Amino acid sequence: MQDFLKELADVLEVDEVKDSDVLEAFPEWDSLTALSVIAMIDARYRVNLTAAELKRVDTARSLYELIGAKNGN
Amino acid sequence: MNFTFSHRKITGLVAIVPSNERTFVDEMANFNFPLARSLKLKQVMGYDKHRIVDGPVCVSDLACFGLQHLFDRGLLDRDGFDALLVVTQSPDYFMPPTSSVIQGRLALKQDMFCMDINQGCAGFLFGLIQAFLILEQPGVHRAVVINADVLSRKVSTKDRNSYPLIGDAASITVIERSGDPAPIHANLKMDGRRREALMIPAGGFRLPSTPETAVLEDDGENNFRAKDNLRMDGSAVFNFVQVEVPPMIEDLLKTACVTADEVDYFLFHQPNRFMLEKLADKMKVPYEKMPSNIVEHFGNSSGVTVPLVIAYNLRERIVTGTIRACLAGFGVGLTWSSMLLRLGPLNFCDLIDFQ
Repeated sequence: MQDFLKELADVLEVDEVKDSDVLEAFPEWDSLTALSVIAMIDARYRVNLTAAELKRVDTARSLYELIGAKNGN
Repeated sequence: MNFTFSHRKITGLVAIVPSNERTFVDEMANFNFPLARSLKLKQVMGYDKHRIVDGPVCVSDLACFGLQHLFDRGLLDRDGFDALLVVTQSPDYFMPPTSSVIQGRLALKQDMFCMDINQGCAGFLFGLIQAFLILEQPGVHRAVVINADVLSRKVSTKDRNSYPLIGDAASITVIERSGDPAPIHANLKMDGRRREALMIPAGGFRLPSTPETAVLEDDGENNFRAKDNLRMDGSAVFNFVQVEVPPMIEDLLKTACVTADEVDYFLFHQPNRFMLEKLADKMKVPYEKMPSNIVEHFGNSSGVTVPLVIAYNLRERIVTGTIRACLAGFGVGLTWSSMLLRLGPLNFCDLIDFQ
């Protein structure tokens, strides 16, 4: 989870992301950032998310859980 | 589905781009986005310059210009080919076919198999497959495939999703029989259920153009485009490419018993730099073997991007020598296709400006 939050912070270009942070609340959040997050998850976790799936999650933690669920963990 | 060919070769290639060049920075003001976010988009996607037609230039204008260039320089004899395959999604007319328009304008011979193929981003592969097939006929000695699109004329200038990347271009590829028995492997898949990911909703018979279809609508993310305009669901297309393309290439190489290391270049359709780099990452292919610099210099000209990436990056190399290339196209349809073949030495490989 810590690694994931670090990766997410890199994509969002912020110093830190906490698990309770709401993704859409970040000033950098837009469709381009969403694509970058999808690409990062694909590369790191071999999980393909659609933009629609990403839209349905709110916090960093729920995104992490979605990846775990799609990975079959 | 898989295809195998042999005794076929590409013998020449020319790409034609309009001389009119626009820059992303100049066009940013048209978009309803904060400047900083647009600059970020430029950096990530690799948007910079693109070539688009200036005024009502049509596909047959670019094609005739390119063919005349080849005739004038003795690179192609005007009676020296027997099939003219035109791959476009922006035909001069609904009818007659643009291939007939080109044949007529240049007064080409009547013993000619003219055919239009309505395909986009995978259109170079489609054209090659069709040319390889028509060359089965003893009466066909040489086939010319023209890929051309002027889709900038159908993209809203207020659509940041599509306008910065659109490019207009044409290419002319000459294909002949050869003595080489080495197999050329290709594969292709189509999924019409996802046809709406890339489309121009109005202007055909389903929804004819009216004043209503010309009204700009917000896509929900501050991009304004009408039903008459080209629409792209960017994230759906991104997802499609990341999911479908790597396994397609894996299958192709497996069928051909070739490893990715043995391929000199992966010459793929050019949607934008971001998508290509993500593809390369996923396929574990070094960036230098998968050029992604066409959108930043010329824009994405659908089916022309593969010949353009060849002409822009590898001209010297394939005029003098041979490379083992993996080509791929993916997009509208949805359609995805790839091909493994040896390219070069070509009789000619040029990139010219349309005036």
